Formats: sequence, C-alpha cells, structure tokens
Amino acid sequence: MKTCVIEIALTIPDNEAYTALTTLQRLGAVISDLQRADVWRFEAEDGYETALIDRVRTLETMYNPNKHEMRVRDRDGREPGEVWIDDLGHDEIERPVVISGRELPGVVRAVRYMGWRLFVSEGRPAPTEVVRSAVATLLCHPAFQRAII
Amino acid sequence: MKARVGILVFPGTNSEEETLRACEAVGLDARLLHWTASSQQVRAFDAYVLSGGFAYEDRVRAGAIAARDRLMEGVREGAAEEKLVLGICNGAQILLEAGLAPDFDGQALPQAGFTRNIPGGRFRSTHVHVKLAIAPSRCAITASLQSESVVPAWASHGEGRLAADAYVLERMRAHGHLAFLYCDREGGTAGEVVPNGSALGVAAVTNRTGNVLAIMPHPERDAWTFMHPEEYGSRADMLAPSGGIELFKSFAAALR
Repeated sequence: MKTCVIEIALTIPDNEAYTALTTLQRLGAVISDLQRADVWRFEAEDGYETALIDRVRTLETMYNPNKHEMRVRDRDGREPGEVWIDDLGHDEIERPVVISGRELPGVVRAVRYMGWRLFVSEGRPAPTEVVRSAVATLLCHPAFQRAII
Repeated sequence: MKARVGILVFPGTNSEEETLRACEAVGLDARLLHWTASSQQVRAFDAYVLSGGFAYEDRVRAGAIAARDRLMEGVREGAAEEKLVLGICNGAQILLEAGLAPDFDGQALPQAGFTRNIPGGRFRSTHVHVKLAIAPSRCAITASLQSESVVPAWASHGEGRLAADAYVLERMRAHGHLAFLYCDREGGTAGEVVPNGSALGVAAVTNRTGNVLAIMPHPERDAWTFMHPEEYGSRADMLAPSGGIELFKSFAAALR
C-alpha cells in the first residue's frame, strides 16, 4: 500500500484565502500571507500511483488546468506552517473511490483536506503556535471539523 | 412608537427584502443595516434580524467570516443587553459561528454549528414545517406562540444540519435550547420530516437567556399564502397572511 498526497491550488487570485487572511489579521494574527489548497491523501495499492495521478489530471471537478496547478507531494504529512482541515464524516471516501462518476484506479481510501499554509514574513512558514491560534480563531469549527496540525 | 429592527446585510446576503417586508407587515420599523454601518448606527436598533443568503460567499465556512465581522460586535453587545436577535438560515449559521447560541458559559466561541446536509451534502429547497419544542416563554421571540405551534417554512440550504458533540447536544436538550424541531403539518416528528439529517431533528436553537433564536428554514418565505404550497385560491386569498408570519408576530409582540 502506498500513500500519495496530491495538492491542487488555484493559480488565479484566491479570494477566499485573502478574506481569511484579512479576517485573521484583523483579529490579531501576526501573519503576512495565507495560502489555500485542496490536499487529497490517497491510499493506493502498489503500482497504481502513476495511473492515479493520470486519472486525477482528467477530473475537471478536482483539477482544472485553466486555473489550478497540481503538485504531487514527495512526502506524506503537513508542510511547515500548514494545517489540514476536514469535515468529520464527510471528506473520507472508502473503496470504491468514485469521483465525478469515475473510479480512481487502485485507490482504497481517499481523504480530502483543506490545506491552509500560514506565513509570517517573506515566505517564512508560521510557527506551530501561530497556526494553532488561527485554527482556534477561524479555520476550524470544533463541532464538526478536525484540524491536523 | 414602533420598535426599530435592523436587518443585517453582509456582502452576499440575499433575503433581506422579504425579511424586511415580513417585519414591516407585523408593525415593526425595520431598516436595512449594511456592513458599512458605524457601531453607533448598529447600537441604535432595538433588535436585529440576520437574514438568509451567502454572507461573504460562505468563504471558509457558511457564516464564518460574517460572524467575525465588525458589524457583529454591535449585535453581540445588543445580545448581551438582552436585545432580541433572530437569525434565519445563513443568519442562523452566523449566530452559531459567533457563539451567540447556544452560548454556554458566556464563551464567544462556536459550540455547535449548522453544517453540510446528510445525505450527500446537497443543497435542498423544500417546504417544511417546524414545531415549537420548548415552552413558548423560554425564548422571548416565541413567547406569543401557542405551545407546540407548527410553523410552515421553506428549507433552502446545503448546510443546515445541526452538529455538536454528544455532550453539547445533551446540554442543549436538557436546558431547553432546541427551540424548533422539524415535523409534518400535523406536528408529528416521526418519519422522514427532517430535510438535512440535523441532530435530534433540530431546526432552531435558542441561547441561554432566550433572546437569540437561530432558525434554519425561512418563515419569511411562507409569510403570505401565495408562498405556501397547496393553498392557492383567489387573488385576495393569495395575498392573505400565511403561517410563517406567526413567528414575526411573536417577535413583534416581544418588542412592544
């Protein structure tokens, strides 16, 4: 079994991230930038990684090349300054993993996270305590969401 | 003198006009209160209604940005002074995001929320009925309704399912926060009457002191007979008040 993490981010201006940034700043967060991406974490059978990535490139509800860039991460887990948010009981799909009516080959489980990446200055990732504070202030609703920091 | 009610309008709010009409129909001096209003302008009102729509395009989560908007500071102060605050649909989401309901322990943090419908997280627009599930006097806004009143309304949301952890839900149940439950037209709560998978079939939540009511379906969209299915008649009949107006009458009565 292999884990494959695919990040899909907007290449056009991200109004939602900008709104979240200005709201957090107004509420006292000392951050200079906030980026947002869909982070898909797939658990796939061995040998299916290439077929999975090729399939994702064809699913326009996940990845639209006119406005997204797609990056296959080289390791599992959060990057510095990042938090993953998912809605409890909603963002996890067990086999068969079908998206837009098409099954993803070899995938036994998929979880879609909202990945927020916070920066303090000049591209420097925010320390964990800043991320934790932003999660509590705005990014995660404790009643129905989960934050993985 | 008529009570002055501020209908909050954020970028993306879309139900302010019908909410305004429903308030005016029950004798209130209702005014639109835009997000650019000053704190002084916000404080000048006797009560507030947060209407439906998609405030700030539901960015981050439905109601999340509006709940933290500067405009809400005045509403929060008003709620603390026991001014009445009614939130409908997106307005209800905003009130829960702001922690104004259920408002345990005076925390200004969300303790419960309205989130994606079950099954499938799909948007639903359907006619519903809701039944008053608390003693009318428990909430000032419902105080003039009859016990177990059934109010017709339109559910129109993708994120209307009440969610909270088991401890919070039990606390809400035990302390009379579950103001309205989905029901059929006779008030029965059995069967498939809940349009969104809401916990305990809840359609509306009140706060600790009973001056805040967050209701998901829209009573203002069933305020006149022409809005109500199955009851079309003559032109005069169609312009007669319908059941949804009863909640606004009770709201107005509490402001006299």
